[in-house]
Amino acid sequence: MAKVLEGPGMGLMKKWGIHVPQYAVVTSADELSKLGHVNDWMKQSKLVAKAHEALGSRFKLGLVKVGLDLTGAVAATKEMIGRQVGSITVSQVIVSEMIAHKEEYYCAVKSTREGSEILVANCGGIEVESNWDRVKRLCLDVGQAPSHEALEKLAKEAGFTGSLAKKMADFAGKMFSCFDSEDAQYLEVNPVVTRESDGELVALDAVTLLDGDAKFRHPDWNFQFAAEFGRSYSKDEMEVMAVDSKIKGSVKFIEIPGGDTAMLPAGGGASVYYSDAVVARGGKLANYAEYSGDPPDWAVEVLTEKVCSLPGIKNIIVGGAIANFTDVKKTFGGIINGFRKAKGDGKLKGVKIWVRRGGPREKEGLDAMRALKDEGFDINVFDRNTPLTDIVDKALHK
Amino acid sequence: MSILANKDTRVVIQGGAAGVNAARRMAEFCYLIKRPLNVEAFVYPPDAGKTNEVPYGSGLIAIPIYKTIAEATKNHPTINTSLVYIGADRAMKGGMEALDDAHIKVVSMITEGVPEKDAKLLGAHARKLGKVFNGPSSIGIISAGACRLGVIGGAFDNLVLSKLYREGSFGVITKSGGLSNEIIWICSQFADGITTAIGIGGDAYPGTDYVSYLEMFENDSQTKAVVVVGEMGGDLEERAAEWYGAKKRRVKLIGVVSGFCQESLPKGMKFGHAGAKEGMKGEGSARSKSDALKKSGAIVPATFGALGPAIKDTYQELLKSGQVKEPVEPAVLPRLPKSIEEAMKADEVMVAPLIRTTISDDRGDEPCYDGYPASELINKGYEIPHVIGLLWDKRLISKQDAEIIKRIMMLSADHGPCVSGAYGTILAACAGIGLSQSVAAGLIMIGPRFGGAVTDAGRFFKHAVDNKMTVDEFLTYMKKNHGPVPGIGHRVKSLRNPDKRVKELVGYVKSLSIKTPCLDFALQVEQVTAAKKDNLILNVDGTMAAVLVDIGFPVDSLNGFFILSRTIGLIGHWVDQKRQDSRLIRLFDYLVNYAAPKRREVPPLK
Repeated sequence: MAKVLEGPGMGLMKKWGIHVPQYAVVTSADELSKLGHVNDWMKQSKLVAKAHEALGSRFKLGLVKVGLDLTGAVAATKEMIGRQVGSITVSQVIVSEMIAHKEEYYCAVKSTREGSEILVANCGGIEVESNWDRVKRLCLDVGQAPSHEALEKLAKEAGFTGSLAKKMADFAGKMFSCFDSEDAQYLEVNPVVTRESDGELVALDAVTLLDGDAKFRHPDWNFQFAAEFGRSYSKDEMEVMAVDSKIKGSVKFIEIPGGDTAMLPAGGGASVYYSDAVVARGGKLANYAEYSGDPPDWAVEVLTEKVCSLPGIKNIIVGGAIANFTDVKKTFGGIINGFRKAKGDGKLKGVKIWVRRGGPREKEGLDAMRALKDEGFDINVFDRNTPLTDIVDKALHK
Repeated sequence: MSILANKDTRVVIQGGAAGVNAARRMAEFCYLIKRPLNVEAFVYPPDAGKTNEVPYGSGLIAIPIYKTIAEATKNHPTINTSLVYIGADRAMKGGMEALDDAHIKVVSMITEGVPEKDAKLLGAHARKLGKVFNGPSSIGIISAGACRLGVIGGAFDNLVLSKLYREGSFGVITKSGGLSNEIIWICSQFADGITTAIGIGGDAYPGTDYVSYLEMFENDSQTKAVVVVGEMGGDLEERAAEWYGAKKRRVKLIGVVSGFCQESLPKGMKFGHAGAKEGMKGEGSARSKSDALKKSGAIVPATFGALGPAIKDTYQELLKSGQVKEPVEPAVLPRLPKSIEEAMKADEVMVAPLIRTTISDDRGDEPCYDGYPASELINKGYEIPHVIGLLWDKRLISKQDAEIIKRIMMLSADHGPCVSGAYGTILAACAGIGLSQSVAAGLIMIGPRFGGAVTDAGRFFKHAVDNKMTVDEFLTYMKKNHGPVPGIGHRVKSLRNPDKRVKELVGYVKSLSIKTPCLDFALQVEQVTAAKKDNLILNVDGTMAAVLVDIGFPVDSLNGFFILSRTIGLIGHWVDQKRQDSRLIRLFDYLVNYAAPKRREVPPLK
């Protein structure tokens, strides 16, 4: 799943005929002033300025300002750009026109196992969150498009009447088109409002999650995906991602500040069991990592270096199940090189390494790991006869 | 018995290299269980019409490659299963093609990174047709003692260790490929092994869910218990729990779920599998799944580590109740033949080498010439003549000798377009022939009359010097036994029109304080022959030959100096003609003396 920020998200909705406010994403107050000279709407409308970052509760943080004129918006932009919130530095601000409205509604499309679900409510904003039973749903099988009658029925069930029901049905239909054609996994507009000037329904906000795997058939996805957990990616995380995008197989790395147990396990499935074992033992994870699909040794080496660079770690868990086709000797070769480099750079002092693995060329790989003892590493190596997560128990045994 | 994959399963593999690798693994399994290879065909348009060679035991089986599934099933009507190894951007088309073929009942997709919508469409299409679509991102399906689809089960040794050569009593369903192998291993160590293990893939919406497979296991009398390895995200485990709790089931269900760490991690953190993502409101969490399974009556060990003992307990119960009997292990199992490399490493075979070399070795990270690494030669200031010395005469020559060789090469690199070698190359270049063939055309001109006299000149001068002959004795010897002296005489040069190259080389060599018996002798010969006839001078071949013998090069290598040097010129001529885009050369008839008989009538055939 790949989260898309509001600007590009609204761009996609606009592409599918959904009314959105006039908006612009700027990176400085100067840029906004210049845009103000050439865009009449910036001078004529009241404006909203929001930090354009993957941040929750922006309102509380003072990163949403409403009812501004252009000067006010420039000032707000100046104030927001460069602000530090956790690990995120605000680098973009989205400025949009305020749409005068009275009523607020809700519309979303989400992915389900069978296909998708269209959600509609005749309340919006915070109100819908506390009145979730007012949300009405239309379930669709994959490959099936909703008929206008079904959409209108949905709108009526949600309490819309008359021409508004027709408009809401039309709005939801466009949302579905956008969802289906753009390989979205989740689209949410909260609130949808009736624009007083012409009575059209307008999307005031956009939550957009796209299927990153479908990027190959969307050459117009020229935006970057945002990190999904309330912070931007670190330099090391981005370096591993860059490696991951280049190789056969995969390497993954996410830092968890404050932990002391570093993870370097193999396999998308086993890695989570290892993380569970650490937490179950009362340990604190310093990261999540995983390599799989027989990645090249140099990629595993890069991953190892990043893991060894985590601050304050006491143990490194080099776990893994019995591989199907990942060459244990080759991938361990990458890990060993990474360990040697880290040691050469003065890292790994007082760090214990725990290894458990099976699979093609397991004996050679495990022997090579054992030999690291002679080079002064504090390393404990186990084979397939030791159950998967027992090394975590041994590592965290007090 | 087993589900999905059995002894009647016949396979078509869609895809290239990864598919061929899977076929190899499948052949190892077929060999282990002593059954013929279950792969009938490949579908891979770029190689259609060719075959893929798959090792089986110590032999090779050629499997045909087709352009379409329809062609494959037409030629191999027993095919009933397809494995898809096509890239994510084309996987859906390939999967649909397989599903739409009437012969094919099961399609398992190994491809990772398939768009969610495509996976859903494939799953829905399969359900509509009453077929099975497994995956995407599936490691494969394996039924012990019967059938392997994909690389699931790992290396040959692991197949044996995990007792996959005979069936057990446990079914396995996992999202993770690596864990499927782990569970198969655990089932073989704590119980009697597996019936069928299925990797359903770690995507958010796998084509077939746990429930469909649980139903199949429920109907397979050999399977007594099913191990389900789940993870957070989606609702497949909850649905499995619902199925299990709905009524009394024949099979026992053992389940573990991963993702408890989520509770103490930043929200929305992305894990290895695309499907491992908790819902907005806590649904799909490891805890809710684990609780649902427990409530349904399934056995849910607290941790992954407790899974082995739980499987053991279940097995012991089954033994006690008489539902299963202790398995009988076969006395002898086939062993996978080793490759020559593996056997040699284990000191099990000796191979008589086909060729022997004494000059160079390419087996390290760089070539070694007579033992010296090329990079070290470069870094220590050695040059091309030294490499010639190492490869042609297995010795490191001196700086002075290297200078002589360098000068010889510079003097003989080219001699204009008219000589036989260059003309041959130019003729070929103008006929549009490529570089190596055109240069070869020039090189084949080198022989007794052009450039190829160096070796013979060296041989005879050396013979004279070694036998302390006088010039007269030598000339008499040559006249009697061999004819004209090689290295003496020139087509256009003469005493009055000397060859500057000879003068240059002789002058340089004589300026050095080295002994040059052959050169000295050759110059004495010239004095005698040139006095007889003006153009019987020591030519460049003869000079080179005498000097090279004097600095110790073996006689047999001498022509090599001319061939090597002149190749520089021949390449130049080819490039020159090519750059000019020269047109085809054809002789004019006025340049030919037509001495053939006049036109005449052909007599009747007798």
